[in-house]
Amino acid sequence: MTAAVVLDALLAAGVLVTAVVALWHRERAASVTVFLGFGVLLTAIWARLGAPDVALAEAALAAGVTGALMTTVVAGRTRSTAPASRSSRAVDVAEGAVAVGVGVALTAVTVGAMRSAAPVLTGDVATEALPDSVVAHPVTAVLLDFRTYDTMLEIVVLAVAALAAVSTLRDAAPALSVPVDRRPVLTGAVAALTPVLVVLAAWLLVAGSDRPGGAFQSGAVVTGIVLLTVLTGTLRLPSARTTRLLLAVGSTVFLVVALATALTTGWLTLENPWGGTAVVALEAVLAVSIGVCLAVLALAGSTRA
Amino acid sequence: MTSLLPAFVVVPALVATLVAMIPRIGAVAAGATALAGVVAAVALTLRVSADGPVDVALGGWAEPVGIALRADGLSAAFVLFTAVVVLVVTVFASGSSAARGTPFFWALSLALWSGLNAVYVAADLFNTYVALELVTVAAVGCVALGGRSAAAPALRYLLVAVAGSLWFLLAVGLLYARTGTLSLRLALDVLRDPTDDGALVATVLILATVGLALKSALVPLHAWLPPAHAGAPAAVSPLMSAVVIKASIFVLYRLWTSLPADAATTSLAVLVGAVGSVAVLWGSLAALRQARLKRVVAYSTVAQVGYFVLLLPLVVPALRPEADDAARAVAELAVQGTVAMVAAHALAKSAMFMAAGCLLHARGTDEIAALRGAVVTNPGAVLAFGVAGVALAGLPPALAFSGKWQLLTAVLESGQWWWLIALLGGGLLTAAYTVRVLAVFVAERETGTENTPVPVRMTAATLVTAVAAGIAGVASAGWLATTTVGVF
Amino acid sequence: MTRPEWFVALGLLVFALGSVRLLFVRDTVTRLVALNIAGAGVFLVLIALAARTDPPDPVLHALVLTGIVIAVSVTGLGLVLIRRSDDGADESRDGDAP
Repeated sequence: MTAAVVLDALLAAGVLVTAVVALWHRERAASVTVFLGFGVLLTAIWARLGAPDVALAEAALAAGVTGALMTTVVAGRTRSTAPASRSSRAVDVAEGAVAVGVGVALTAVTVGAMRSAAPVLTGDVATEALPDSVVAHPVTAVLLDFRTYDTMLEIVVLAVAALAAVSTLRDAAPALSVPVDRRPVLTGAVAALTPVLVVLAAWLLVAGSDRPGGAFQSGAVVTGIVLLTVLTGTLRLPSARTTRLLLAVGSTVFLVVALATALTTGWLTLENPWGGTAVVALEAVLAVSIGVCLAVLALAGSTRA
Repeated sequence: MTSLLPAFVVVPALVATLVAMIPRIGAVAAGATALAGVVAAVALTLRVSADGPVDVALGGWAEPVGIALRADGLSAAFVLFTAVVVLVVTVFASGSSAARGTPFFWALSLALWSGLNAVYVAADLFNTYVALELVTVAAVGCVALGGRSAAAPALRYLLVAVAGSLWFLLAVGLLYARTGTLSLRLALDVLRDPTDDGALVATVLILATVGLALKSALVPLHAWLPPAHAGAPAAVSPLMSAVVIKASIFVLYRLWTSLPADAATTSLAVLVGAVGSVAVLWGSLAALRQARLKRVVAYSTVAQVGYFVLLLPLVVPALRPEADDAARAVAELAVQGTVAMVAAHALAKSAMFMAAGCLLHARGTDEIAALRGAVVTNPGAVLAFGVAGVALAGLPPALAFSGKWQLLTAVLESGQWWWLIALLGGGLLTAAYTVRVLAVFVAERETGTENTPVPVRMTAATLVTAVAAGIAGVASAGWLATTTVGVF
Repeated sequence: MTRPEWFVALGLLVFALGSVRLLFVRDTVTRLVALNIAGAGVFLVLIALAARTDPPDPVLHALVLTGIVIAVSVTGLGLVLIRRSDDGADESRDGDAP
């Protein structure tokens, strides 16, 4: 048993244990906290499986931003410590047994499929096509050159989710309002951190062209910047109209680019020599859009309707 | 037309984001886009029936590296009736702000429509997943426009719908494990080789069908639907029942008319058909017991979804390796009949919900008991409701009649006569719950019931849609023949 | 079993645990957590499948990245809706089914 195998086994065990605890715990707050631990372990597994882009995104988005979103709803509310469910131990075990059964059955089928897998995977074809793409990093190439349409739809999904969240606020003047904490320790720390975070976000963005990084990870950092500055009063909350503008502008740009390329090179077709620049520009738009939309989602969750 | 296919997705989405930024232009922008959408949908149908399916490779990359779009007869049909429903609901919604819930209605409904089109023209399986998520998020947003009381039903819908998408995504992942591609067409090429993929295909179909059944509210996974459809604002409910449900139904059809079949999948199809028959009965009986009008219509949708899955056992024999021309002919007939039912339901159900919306506007409530004598105060809405109900039950010359006729023929020719019970019985039950409601409408009005006048355009949109559902069977044979172009 | 196969098994088990719990638990926040865990299970399967080749399959990595962003969007919207329904009257429940 090499160290690598032991490490993999420990991570897998950790993931299972945190999943089970998070799913069956009686209290909301504990569930959420353990779930965040699950996310951290998952980040390690992504790294172990050779997926650094995904690990970055998991740490920043799935663990970081989701953690922020969940704690605003769960923290400091009397309901959060109320028992989450009243099922008996026997029912819990039964549910677990069903899950294990389903998992084993699916594994049998999937492993069979993997063993008779087709020799040529799309991934191999994509890697071969990489030299003809406008960026060097494979994952970025897939996201913004080969499968740009999916990325376009996904950013629309995010904007619609943020719009839907804002639309549930009091409809007379749907604006965000959150309690602002202006204590000097916080404002000082934010003042020191913000420039560093901005540089980090920009670096992650540009780095994505030839190494792990890119719009999604950069966007998560932008979310952090927005939330930190808004919650300490360094940045004033925008008006309702500005909020709507900000969360829609990213998708609008992407969709306009789609139309523009339709009329010139073909729908969402990027070509050299302007392709590389186009990708970075699109990624910048994506990063800001992701940052703003996720921040709006978090702030809408804290606003009393 | 080849290069205009992505416009069905990009244009409504772009208008949606513009309307989100400038809400004032909402009604006009939505109306103009909806009108253009119907024209484009008709053009697409004509193009597909003349020249066959339309294929587009996006980003300048061919499959499997890039994403392709494909519009065959089935896609064109769904795009068409969705565009028509969007148009009439847009007209309806422009009549009353209460019907919309909040000014965000325009942006969210346009985004919803964009997502629906994205589902219909998708040829890549992961693309289908992303499109389904767009539909879900937009639809949940629309339901939540109903105010604080709609938040819980909207949340439940969100959880169930996203869970369904996850099951579907897992099925896609399993298919990729074996075929190495996300393109449905290329995956089928790999599966056509005679290695034993039976267990895999069956598992993929089970996972995908359960996931899509969750999203379509097939009994017994239907409990989320009545509160969500009934609790949504008056202009959102017609969209939900008439077109949002159809997205997951479409993907179900796409999978079941493509993947190769064997004994296991045939049994699965029969099981789903049986569940569907139960759904027809269950939903209709529940509709008979509801006290609120919108709930009656919502449970009616639960019943109709049962009809939609009857396609599966009729189409599966044509996908077996030993299938002959007779089986394929039956399958084509079954698809045409089902598409007629789906489109008929879209028109009739939106008319019924819009009629309920008119009455809600007039009387301030949708409690059936409070709607006594509505025939005197709101004759248009009552007439529309009656015509739509009868059209849904399948009286000629309604579109549902053509659909049922074709399905009956397919059932008899395939020898699976037991589906007749659901097909014929369901119509009777639909008539029953329609008549029950109409009886209250024509009863004598209690003195002193308040009555707010309903804007003309709302009643007009409702009536036009109901009448369309009622007479569309007349010229439908030609159109229905185009719906199977390129499907098998 | 090879390494990818073990991780596929892990992913499928996590997916099953999350899905079963999602269907049966009543509390909305726990349901949202269950949804996220089920999603993580599916992502595990995809990344494990990607690890079959060297270098790993970039297409599957891109899919998971897209999936993570969608999952966070959905979670955010779900939490806003939970907040709205908690703030308001008690949620109405129509029985045990999803």
